Amino acid sequence: MITAERKPLEEILAYIKPFKRILLLGCNECVTVCAAGGRKEVGVLASGIQMSMLKNGTSIEIREHTLERQCDPEYVEELLPMIDSADAVLSMACGCGVQQLATRFKDKPVFPAVNTKFMGGSDRHGVWTERCQGCGDCLLGLTGGICPIAKCAKQLMNGPCGGSARGVCEIGEDVDCAWHLIWERLKALDLTEQYLEIMPAKDWRPGGGSGPRKIIREDLAE
Amino acid sequence: MQKTERSQTNNRVLVVGGGLGGIRTALDLAEAQKDVVLIDRANNIGGLMTQLDRTFPTNNCDLCTLAPHLSESNRHEHISLMAMTEVQGISGEKGNFTVSLATRPRYINLEKCTGCGECLQQFPECVSFTPGLDHRAPTCMRYPQNTPQAYAIDLSKCDDVAGLVKCCPAGAINPDDLGSNGDIACSSIVMSPGASLFDPSGLDYLGYSENPDVVTSLEYERILSASGPTQGRLVRPSNGAQPKKVAWIQCIGSRGLQKGAAPYCSGACCMFALKEAMVTKERFQEDIETTIFYMDMRTFGKDYERYYERARDEFGVRFIHSRPHSILQHPGSDQLELGYTVDSNSSLQTEEFDMVVLSTGFKIGDQAKELANRLGLELTSSNFPANPGLNQVETSTPGIYVAGTFQGPKDIPETMVQASAAACMAGKDVTPLEADSEQEPLLPPERNVVGEEPKVGVFICDCGENIGGVINVESLITRLEKLNHVIVVKAEGHGCSRESMENIRQTIEELGVNRVVIGGCSPRTHESKFQDLIRKAGLNKYLLEFANIRDQVTWVHGHQPEQALNKAEALIKMAVGAVCESQPLADHSLPINKNVLVVGGGVTGMTSALELADQGFKVYLVERTATLGGVAAKLYRTLEGDDIQDFVSNLIKRTKDHEGIEVITGGIIVDHSGMPGMFTTGMQVGRQMFYRQIEHGVTILATGARPNRPELFELGNSKAIATQLELQELIDQDAARVKTWDNVVMIQCVGSRTADNPNCSRICCQNAVKNALSIVELNPEARVFVLYRDMRTYGFQEEYFQKAREKGVIFVRYQQDNPPQVDHADDQATVTYHDPILVREVKVSADFLALSTGLVADEDSSEELAMVFKLPRTEDGYFLEDHIKLRPVDLPVPGFFVAGTAHAPKTISESLIQARAVASRAMTILAREAINLGAVTAKVDSARCASCLVCVRACPFDVPFINADGYSEIDPAKCHGCGMCASECPAKAIQLLQFEDDQVLSKIEQLFEKVVA
Amino acid sequence: MKDFEPVIVAFCCHYCAYTAADMAGSKRLFYPSNVKIIRVPCSGKVDSLHIIKAFEKGADGVYVAGCLEGDCHFKNGNDKAAKKVAHMSKYLEEIGIEPERLEMVRMSAGMGERFAQVASEITDKIRKLGPSPIKAAAA
Repeated sequence: MITAERKPLEEILAYIKPFKRILLLGCNECVTVCAAGGRKEVGVLASGIQMSMLKNGTSIEIREHTLERQCDPEYVEELLPMIDSADAVLSMACGCGVQQLATRFKDKPVFPAVNTKFMGGSDRHGVWTERCQGCGDCLLGLTGGICPIAKCAKQLMNGPCGGSARGVCEIGEDVDCAWHLIWERLKALDLTEQYLEIMPAKDWRPGGGSGPRKIIREDLAE
Repeated sequence: MQKTERSQTNNRVLVVGGGLGGIRTALDLAEAQKDVVLIDRANNIGGLMTQLDRTFPTNNCDLCTLAPHLSESNRHEHISLMAMTEVQGISGEKGNFTVSLATRPRYINLEKCTGCGECLQQFPECVSFTPGLDHRAPTCMRYPQNTPQAYAIDLSKCDDVAGLVKCCPAGAINPDDLGSNGDIACSSIVMSPGASLFDPSGLDYLGYSENPDVVTSLEYERILSASGPTQGRLVRPSNGAQPKKVAWIQCIGSRGLQKGAAPYCSGACCMFALKEAMVTKERFQEDIETTIFYMDMRTFGKDYERYYERARDEFGVRFIHSRPHSILQHPGSDQLELGYTVDSNSSLQTEEFDMVVLSTGFKIGDQAKELANRLGLELTSSNFPANPGLNQVETSTPGIYVAGTFQGPKDIPETMVQASAAACMAGKDVTPLEADSEQEPLLPPERNVVGEEPKVGVFICDCGENIGGVINVESLITRLEKLNHVIVVKAEGHGCSRESMENIRQTIEELGVNRVVIGGCSPRTHESKFQDLIRKAGLNKYLLEFANIRDQVTWVHGHQPEQALNKAEALIKMAVGAVCESQPLADHSLPINKNVLVVGGGVTGMTSALELADQGFKVYLVERTATLGGVAAKLYRTLEGDDIQDFVSNLIKRTKDHEGIEVITGGIIVDHSGMPGMFTTGMQVGRQMFYRQIEHGVTILATGARPNRPELFELGNSKAIATQLELQELIDQDAARVKTWDNVVMIQCVGSRTADNPNCSRICCQNAVKNALSIVELNPEARVFVLYRDMRTYGFQEEYFQKAREKGVIFVRYQQDNPPQVDHADDQATVTYHDPILVREVKVSADFLALSTGLVADEDSSEELAMVFKLPRTEDGYFLEDHIKLRPVDLPVPGFFVAGTAHAPKTISESLIQARAVASRAMTILAREAINLGAVTAKVDSARCASCLVCVRACPFDVPFINADGYSEIDPAKCHGCGMCASECPAKAIQLLQFEDDQVLSKIEQLFEKVVA
Repeated sequence: MKDFEPVIVAFCCHYCAYTAADMAGSKRLFYPSNVKIIRVPCSGKVDSLHIIKAFEKGADGVYVAGCLEGDCHFKNGNDKAAKKVAHMSKYLEEIGIEPERLEMVRMSAGMGERFAQVASEITDKIRKLGPSPIKAAAA
């Protein structure tokens, strides 16, 4: 899933300063799961904005709404009855959702209320970590299911660097060395010969190196 | 109270004594739909436990655990509660007793008294009892949950009777109250009047009478208690300073050493002292020193040994194995000097303390003895009711049962177990009343209010001076009448009086009120009463909100009447806001399957099965092995001399012959599903292992424990070395061989109280005493040495310990770090031990060495069953009960109960008591047609659910799961109603019914409506 | 500012603080009337949104009162509540409201004195802080 974190209130307030009526939009997908932009966070942010306004002696009209998914045009259509009564839209969805709105409502200013962070998963209740960088050419099959692109600070392809000590990366005590993990896992699986294979220099083009990416399923696309 | 005369039948049980045990007995019977009359001498029920600050071994606040039981017992429709009432005499026999009762005049009408305290204010000298506000005496009750919640008057101390009568705003004082005398008919009687505590005044060497800093353990408890005379500040009674050194002296009045002391052990005092010392250390840490002087530390209960270890190792409580012979205070000094000797040194030691606590034991007081005489009960030499056999709760008179400390000294969990067992026995002679026929016709159908505009009725109690004395109820009404949706606001005098309740009901019906707000006292005490009321008025009981304008407004803001009025208004507005958002809710209920599954065919399982089958329930008794009888089948005699073989074979015959019991031997439980009242359990049966399923409503686990056999002290390497279990068989089966022994050694705590198995096995000390006595009986010349760490012959077992010493059995204490050494030749064992009195090594050539190896949990079966049934276990593998204190045989999974040694090591008669207790507990479920699970449960809106797993992870009880449709599902039958999932759900897809977001937010909205605008 | 009387919302757990509040009542322990209690089945039921809405609507102070450590009727609701309170305090700071206006307290059902004392102390503290900045601006 895509993870996100709410932006500092100050930044959000700066975006919406010129406007009187705001549509504050949550998304019931990834940002709900990572507790950044579901119905609950929409309510909490609306309150925070309102109070910041009241504190300065002003006020703002905020309409709260949460879409099932902001990144699909059909769901966005749901906003038609309410979009006109808003001067601007503040979205708590990831960047995909924000852009979907901007594309659909060409004359409406759209602002992000969260910073989209990474593709990851939850380690435990309330903790999410990065798992994938969308390189477009998955090599997990060669690395024991552990990704050196997402998990190695240097994105090394052929074993650890000199900064790996006792399984920990030099950038921080709490960061595991991805290659150490890969080695331990391959050992456990009795697949260490995979480790010995030299991986050629990675072609970064499928990862976005040659411009915006697109997927077309011919059997489905109209 | 007039309820007792409502019918002339004898189809009821009389419970004498409203302490914790009596309340439990009464509740068990009432929940099994049987009528009970509960009487108590005192002005209110609750007994001794209401005076305690904290209870071992959880060190939780007592009041919080007891209070719900108190109010429940007053509310229950099958219980008639008579305070200030005593038994005068008895006639008749089992099944048909007539008991004459005398009730002292209270001069207060219980129906009218609101507990306001006006009489105490104006005529303090006339009030003989106050429900919870008196802190004059150190042992007074002082807690807000008194039942009944009413004062009592001593008219003889009153000069101005007319003035007194007039001062009561509720008109509750009745100077013409003559009390009452009357007979009641009943089928059986349970006696649980409790025991008294030993009065140490007569022991002049302790200086208890002269020195205020020498206190009893109960007095110390009151000093520690937040509701005690010092409001929880620990101070020396003599000078008000905080003590730096406190000592406890154990066995005061117990174990037969002082003037007037009892020969038995009081059983609970060691734990009591540990608890007090730990709570003291916890509070004052390094600022205080705590020392316990003891004879034997008797922490024999479930997990109690670990508690003892924690006190010693984590809390730094100091233990001295000694019995101080004097407490002196030198002239001019404010210190207490204890004189004592210790094992390692024969000279006199002295040490000064600021306070000394005397651990006084239980004793049957004159009143209880007199009561027993009036009932014609045979008594032992210690004045406890004599018990004819293995069933502890029976007495010499059939139909009269005993429980609690009146039966024998014990702690709270054992009292609760006996109380339930007594309910089981007493309930046999009473037929359950048809629950449905009594309630249903009274209730009108529920009006459908969904879709109606809220029409709120607000009813305000002035509660006499309690509310009306601080705020002007009329002006409050004027302010509230303008509120949105409110169609009527009325003052209702004492809202909870019968008359006012009737007025409220009429108003609701006449005006078509569809939401109700009560402005009055606390929902904690009165919500259910008003829920019942509005239900009678045709409304769903959840269309009600309480504004607590007494306990949380007028009682606490009496100094600021204007602010109090404003706050009362605000609270009622909040309640109106919330009630407008409330919706009718249905209590969840499930039909009950009335069959019982008993797992384990030992004496415990068979006894439970028989008790339930005798009362008409179908029982499946599943035993893993091929035969019934369990460990008891290998035993011959109890310490008291009962014939176990005979008992077990009778029990097996009765079980097999009973048409209500299906015995399944060779059955291994393999799967389980369902919920309380409708379980399905699968098992593989017999050599062919054919699969079979059973449907049942409750499950009783009586799977026992395993005799331990650790390879210690050369066990198994010589025929002269064996366990106590093997020794008792030899005594019975090969007396000729036993007679030839000149020297026998016994070693205690073999494989118990060790690092591997930290708990005490409880049964071994009495086993050693039993076998030692048998040996010296067979051969009076034999010399028996018992090497022990602490002799734990609790309760009446102590008398046998004393007898063994009289007969010349030698008891020698050894230290864990210096255990006896054992060598063996072919038919002899040589035991070398350190004798602390001779201060040297002693070597004994023994003809026989018996090792007290105790019991351990049967890991194989208990681990598997715990997995199948999803039940928690203790660290040592015994099943873990729901509440160690108050629900000792109920397991945390509703509908599951545990009895016997599957719960913890215990003797046969203790196991049998638990067997009957679980039968009683099971009947509280089986007597119902359906289980009511309440309405406060979490509800998922699947359209909003993002299947994020937050609820699954947040729930403390693992109830939510993502169902096959991909949405969170919460089973209302399993939901505990805490609301943690609702508060964490990021999609706002979960609501906790009765505490929904709309209701909470509406309260906030209403509170600030005016303030912000 | 002399006449300022704060409004304080106290979310109280049914099993401990709410009972303690009743106990304070039966002992007639006086405390300021500024504290308004909202009863919850467990302090873990208190929603971040409810806390923030209380401030938005005009509360000068909010506190959540749960059971003593290890005493939660539902295992760990009180600890969860404490975490939420800490999280919301930071948010208040971001908004520009003094985080001291929000607090987590713990007590057992028997602690009537403590309930009254906490109510007085928090009222005093909020009184010193003055009206909530959002109210001050509106006035």
